[in-house]
Order: sequence, then C-alpha cells, then structure tokens
Amino acid sequence: MFFIAFGLLMALAWVRLQAPDVALAEAAIGAGLTGALLLAALSRLNSIEHTTAAPAYPQKSARALQLQSWLAMALLLILNAGLAYSILSLPDTGAGLTPLVTMQLEHSGVKNPVTAVLLNYRGYDTLLEVFVLLLALLSVWSMGTSQQQPEASPGPVLDNLMRLLAPVLILVAAYLLWVGADAPGGAFQAGSVLAAAGVLLLLSGWRLPTRLLDRPLRIVLIAGPAVFIATALATLLSSGRLLQFAPDWAGVLILLIETFATLSIGVTLAALFAGGRPHHPPDRS
Amino acid sequence: MISSANLYALTGSGLFSLGLYGLIMYAHLLRKILAINVMGSGIFLLLVALAYRSPGQPDVVPHAMVITGIVVAVSATALALGLMLKLATHSSSTQLPDED
Amino acid sequence: MASLINTFINTLNWPVLLILLPLIGAMICFIWPRSAILTGLITLSAVLCCVAGLTWQLLEHGVYRHPVGGWGAPLGIDLYADGLSLIMLLTTALVGSAISVYSTAYLKPQESTRFWPVWLLLLAALNALFLSADLFNLYVTLELMGLAAVTLTALSATRQAYNGAMRYLLATLLGSLCYLLAIALLYHAYATVDISLLAQRVDSSPVSWAAFGLISAGLALKTALFPLHFWLPPAHSSAPAPVSALLSALVVKASFYILLRVWLEIFAPLGAGAVELFGLLGMLAVVWGSIQALRQTRLKLLIAYSTVAQIGYLFMAFPLASNRPQLWAAVLYLALSHALAKSAMFLSAGNLLKYGGHDRISDLDRVVQRLPLTAAAFALAGVSIMGLPPSGGFISKWLLLEAAITQGRWDLALVMIFGGLLAAAYIFKVLGRTFTQAATTHEARAVPASMEWPALLLALGAIVLGFIAIPMFGLIHIGDAFGLGGVQP
Repeated sequence: MFFIAFGLLMALAWVRLQAPDVALAEAAIGAGLTGALLLAALSRLNSIEHTTAAPAYPQKSARALQLQSWLAMALLLILNAGLAYSILSLPDTGAGLTPLVTMQLEHSGVKNPVTAVLLNYRGYDTLLEVFVLLLALLSVWSMGTSQQQPEASPGPVLDNLMRLLAPVLILVAAYLLWVGADAPGGAFQAGSVLAAAGVLLLLSGWRLPTRLLDRPLRIVLIAGPAVFIATALATLLSSGRLLQFAPDWAGVLILLIETFATLSIGVTLAALFAGGRPHHPPDRS
Repeated sequence: MISSANLYALTGSGLFSLGLYGLIMYAHLLRKILAINVMGSGIFLLLVALAYRSPGQPDVVPHAMVITGIVVAVSATALALGLMLKLATHSSSTQLPDED
Repeated sequence: MASLINTFINTLNWPVLLILLPLIGAMICFIWPRSAILTGLITLSAVLCCVAGLTWQLLEHGVYRHPVGGWGAPLGIDLYADGLSLIMLLTTALVGSAISVYSTAYLKPQESTRFWPVWLLLLAALNALFLSADLFNLYVTLELMGLAAVTLTALSATRQAYNGAMRYLLATLLGSLCYLLAIALLYHAYATVDISLLAQRVDSSPVSWAAFGLISAGLALKTALFPLHFWLPPAHSSAPAPVSALLSALVVKASFYILLRVWLEIFAPLGAGAVELFGLLGMLAVVWGSIQALRQTRLKLLIAYSTVAQIGYLFMAFPLASNRPQLWAAVLYLALSHALAKSAMFLSAGNLLKYGGHDRISDLDRVVQRLPLTAAAFALAGVSIMGLPPSGGFISKWLLLEAAITQGRWDLALVMIFGGLLAAAYIFKVLGRTFTQAATTHEARAVPASMEWPALLLALGAIVLGFIAIPMFGLIHIGDAFGLGGVQP
C-alpha cells in the first residue's frame, strides 16, 4: 500500500513539474499496475508461506549487520553528495532539445510534443520498448502456468460495480488514445487504463473463455508489436529510412500504431497481473 | 537559493541513494524489488525536474524517456516478482541464500 | 550480372534487417510454437547473410550511419556501424548460429518452445546494441538484453537456476539504473544523448565525471568485473549449457562493448586516473578468478570462474592501450577469441553433462575414448584460453604482453604470465581427468553429432583466429574507432 501512495505522490510531483503525460503514465502504470502486481505477488507469497516450512538460513549477528548498515550509509552519503554537487553545478536554465522539438512539430503529424517524441522522433526506442513488454510476458509465462486458485468471490455489490466500471474504463482508454495526438495521453496511458479494466474483471472472477486462450489471445498480444514492425518495414521500403513517416501520413500512421499498441499493452499488462501462462486444454503438440 | 527544479532533482538523487541502501541492506526479496523501483523513480524525478529548467515550456524529450522508463520498470518488476514466487515455492524462502 | 549483385548488396539496408528479422522471428515463434526451431534456424541463417552483406558494404563504402525516422541526431536516433561494431555483430552471428544448432539437440521440446522466442529477442537486442549510436537507445537495448538473459537463465526451472537468475536480475537492473542516471545527467548538461555529439561537447565538469563514474560502475557490474562478479558464477553455471555459452560469450561482451565505445569516444580525453583503476581491478580479477576456477570441483563453475578471470584481461589492457591506441584492436580480438573459446567450453561441458548425467570433474570417465570430438573441442578451446600458439588468444595476449614489457609495466606483465600459468593448471586439471578411468563408472548416454560438432567448430574457430589475424585487424580498423588517424599498426 505504501508503494501506491508513493506512486501517487510522484504523480503529484509530475503535475507540479508540468509533465502531465508522465503524471498519467505514473498514476496508471507506476502506481496502479505495479502496485496491483506487488499486492497480487504478496497474496500469493502468503499462501505459499502458509503451506510450507519457514526458511532456515543462518542470520548474521546483530553487530555485523549494524556495522554493514553504517558502512553502506556512509558510502551512500558520499555518493549522494557527489551527485548533488554535480546537479547543482548545472546551469540554472537549459533549453535541452525544446527548440528542435517545437520547430519540427508540424512535420511530426501530432500536436502533443510528447507523443511526437515517443512515436516519431524517437519512435525506434518505443518499437524496442513494446518488445520489452512482450518479453516480460514471455518470461512470466515461461516460468509456468497460473495457479487457478479459486478467487474469493467479491460479493454481488462489488461484482456489479466492477462490471459497470470495466466498460467505463475501456471508454476512458479509447479517449486517452484519441486525445494523445493533441493533449496529454497516448498508447501507454490508454493501454494501462485498459489493463486496469482487465484487472478488475479478473478480480471479479471473470476468465477468458477457454477457446480464446491460446492462439486468439496470442494474436492480440502480438498485434501491437506486429503492426509497429510492419510500419517499420513499409517505411524502409518506401523511403529507404526506418520509421520515416511522410508528414501527410504521419498522423494516420501514428494513430494506427498507437491503436494496436494500446490493445496489446492493455492485454499484456492484464496478463502479467494474472501471472503465469493460462491453462489450456492438454497440449496438442 | 536553490531553484525548485534543483530541489526536485536533489530529491530524485536522494531517492536513488535511499533505494540503493534498501537494495543492499534488506534481505527480503520483495523489499529489494521495491527498492529497485524507488531507485528508478528517483532517476525519473531527476530527469523531469531538470527538464523544468527550460525557459517557457519544459523540455519534453526527458518526459518521453521517463514514459519509456516506466514501462521498462513495470516489465522488470513483473519478471522479478515471478522469479520471487518461483523461488518461494522451490525453497520456501524469500531470501537469497548466502554464497553457495 | 556482377554489377547487379553489387547494387543489390549496396541498396539493401543490412543493419536494419539485422534488428528487424530476429524481432519478426520471435513473434512467429510466439504465435506458432510448434515451428519455433525451424523459424529460429531460418532467422539465424538470414542474420548470417545480413552480417556478410554488412561486411561487404563496410569494406566498399566505409562506415554506415542511418538516421532513423530521417531526423538525425540530436532530435532522432542514429544507427552507426564501424569495424568495432562489425566484429561484435560477426561474433554474435557466428557464435549464435553454432549455439542455435546445438540447442536443437540439447533442449527438451518443452524447454525449446520457451527458449526460441526469448533467444531471438536477445539476438535482436544484441544486434541493436552493437548498431546504436544513441546512449538512451542503448539503455533500452540493455534492458531488453538483460531481461531476456535472465529469462533464459531460469529456463531449466530448478532451484539453483531460479536463484542464479534472481541474483542476475538484481545485478543487471542495478547496473542499468546506474547507467540510466548517468544518461540523465549527461542529457541535461549537454542536451544530447548521441555519442558523437557528446564527444564534441563533453568537457571536464562535475557532471561528466559523475556520469563517467556511474556508467563505469554500472557497466562493470554487468560485465562482472572483480569485485562486482558475484552474480556471474551462480547464473552461468546453473543455466542450461547453450544458455551459459550465450551469456559468457555474448551478453557479458555487450556491456563491455558499450563501456569501450563510451570510453573511446567520450571520456578518454578526460583523464588517465581511471585506466589505472581498471587495470588494477583487471589484475585482481585475473588472479582471483583463476584461483577460484582452480578450486572448483564442478566443471561448469570452473568455466564460469574462468570467464571472471578472462574478463580481467580485457580491463588490464586499459592502461596499456591508452598510451598506444593500436592495442585496442588486440583487446577486441581477445574478446572475440574468448567468445569462441568459452562458448566451445560450455557446449563441451553440456555434452559431458548429457553423457554422464553430472559435471563433477573428478568423475569424468575416459571421455577421450568415448567422446573424442568433445574432448578435442575442450582442449582446443583451452589452448586459446591459456594463450598458447597458434590461437586468437595467443595473438592478442602476446600483443598485450609485449606492450606491457616495452612500456615497463612489469606488474601487468607478471600478472598476465601468472594468469596464463593458472589457466594452464585449471584446464589440465580437467583434461587430465578425461584420460583416466573414474572410481565410479556411469551409465553413458549417446551424444548426437549436432551437439559435438558445434562445440568443435567454435573451438577450431578460436584456433583459426591465430592464422587470420591480419585480415581481421583490417576489418576492425574500418572507421577508425580507436582514433589512430589513419596510422595503421
């Protein structure tokens, strides 16, 4: 719980620093989903620890621990002093890349400069990043299937509330995706709101129908990365440059990439929350 | 007089050091994972705070970097939590054993 | 006809394909798990072709630079390839292909479907890393590489594997965070994360020193430089043999590559004090890693500690090469030789493990008669690791030793010789056992040819490097990454 509060505080700091896009991302992913992941892990951990014996590692003596702690603290204070000194040595103003970002904004296809950086100027970073997310899912799935522990039924009131909330969240996600071109928002924020809807549905005991578990689920997970790669190849063929969008087309292409990315990001994050590869009927392979 | 951008940036570097302390000192893996996340947040705060020094509107390139960083962080956290649960089921402990 | 082929080779964008093809392969493996092996092998063949094409292109036209999105630095991201990147890409493609063939026989079908998509993502991350000219983009590739490597470490699903993977994950994340903090500082001081622009702008300021310290510490942790090597032996010894080979041969080298690149391009003019620290830690790594290797009773742990020692040599070269930039080529050649030899060793260890069901050194039972190819692979790889002629390890270590003596650095020279003797001791400790009959005999299982030959070919590669040093050094010098200013060594 502490971590979620910490994340919300961070989101406030982003607002104060005029970074609304980051604030949205932090509130939705940094605080919301990471918090949900941590809580889910904690509850699974408790159920494991209840069923198995306590650990039996030799503990270090209290004095050794204390010495270690002082030593670490001293070293970190020195490190932090060095960091602080270097931060304070920076000039008070620094425009960074703002002039360039603003100058090229009209060629980028969008009006929100953060989206322009994420999907156009530095779109290649984002291309690799959607694969980082896919990789996380591959890793979690490769460590085994999810335990289909019977979730505690949340009761009719909560259940109805969640079923009501989920469509609202999906609408919010669509809105965030659409405005991302002009105002704070975009694929990652929208995707994580979509994931929140998924998490709520999972909590209310809803499960994906078995026939959708294998290939269809995988296709949805891959849709975002696949469309991104397809766009990359198309731009390489048409202009000779990776991810170079013609200014007239840039807006459409970015919206296309973002739509599928939102879908995949949302489903991936929800699947990460569910943990483990879903059970499907005995392996046909 | 320290500007507010610098103040936030210093808080960021403080969070980084605090997280590093937690990572080194705590034995419980869940706390180590939390500590890593705190370190990451510290860096993100520093990136965005110093972007605030730009006259007029803040520099958005670090904002985009932070959004990328947040997604990478959640991926790493999911992997770490999965590994922690596996370790817990296999060795019924949430600490790393001492050197072999 | 010839001109047609020429245009074909020159118009195709090989480096971009090197990044996109493995990504596409990984997606196909994810959707159709049953065709994973076929998809993987096709992807690896395509990657080999792309590297060949890139080599041709670089030889014809010199360095490659590609502004992604058409923006160009500092607003956009540039891809960049010179001789330094080329050698790393070449190593990755060759070692990766051999390990891929090996893995088809080594891994169980269940493991194999999980192995391929992650390994292809790792391959894409490595290629993207060696081609990137942008520090923040390098951070993303580092994370993709690190998370993929951790996933592969946990593949065998044993307690030791999870333990090794967890340690590895915490270490690699800490390393990435230090690196990211440094990038944040550099960006705010110099308003760019492009390496060549930073090279023009960086001056001796508190920020650049802090950034250099953080980058060095973070990447030294990822490269497992003594005393930050604690995570390497458990991770590399508990992973399945093909994964151990990938980790020791390629993943560790990737973070070393970034450190080398950043040092050469950005930080070298700043100061000389750091090279002495690298040299000292390198010497300690050689001595400590070799002694630990000698003490091990399990083959894979011995090889893992040998990696710790061999990484030491790479860092010992810093004080020497900063006086004589020609030596950097020798350092790179050493990294290449080590990649081939060490992957051959891990694959041989995997054969012995499959064959006898264990990797206790004392119980290796007359392997020479029963698995002659594997024993030969281990022995040939050992020749390169010890630095005996004729091998890639010999050429590069000889150049370093000669430089140490002519520069009057007796401390470095002595450690190099001592490290070579220790390496001989731990390799002969293994080889000696392979001739004798063990006290307990085991039920032996057959080892398929597709596991014996990749190991032998990699080991032979390490030997052949001893004969083709001159053309290879020519490749390394494309684009003059070491700032020789046209002076060939």
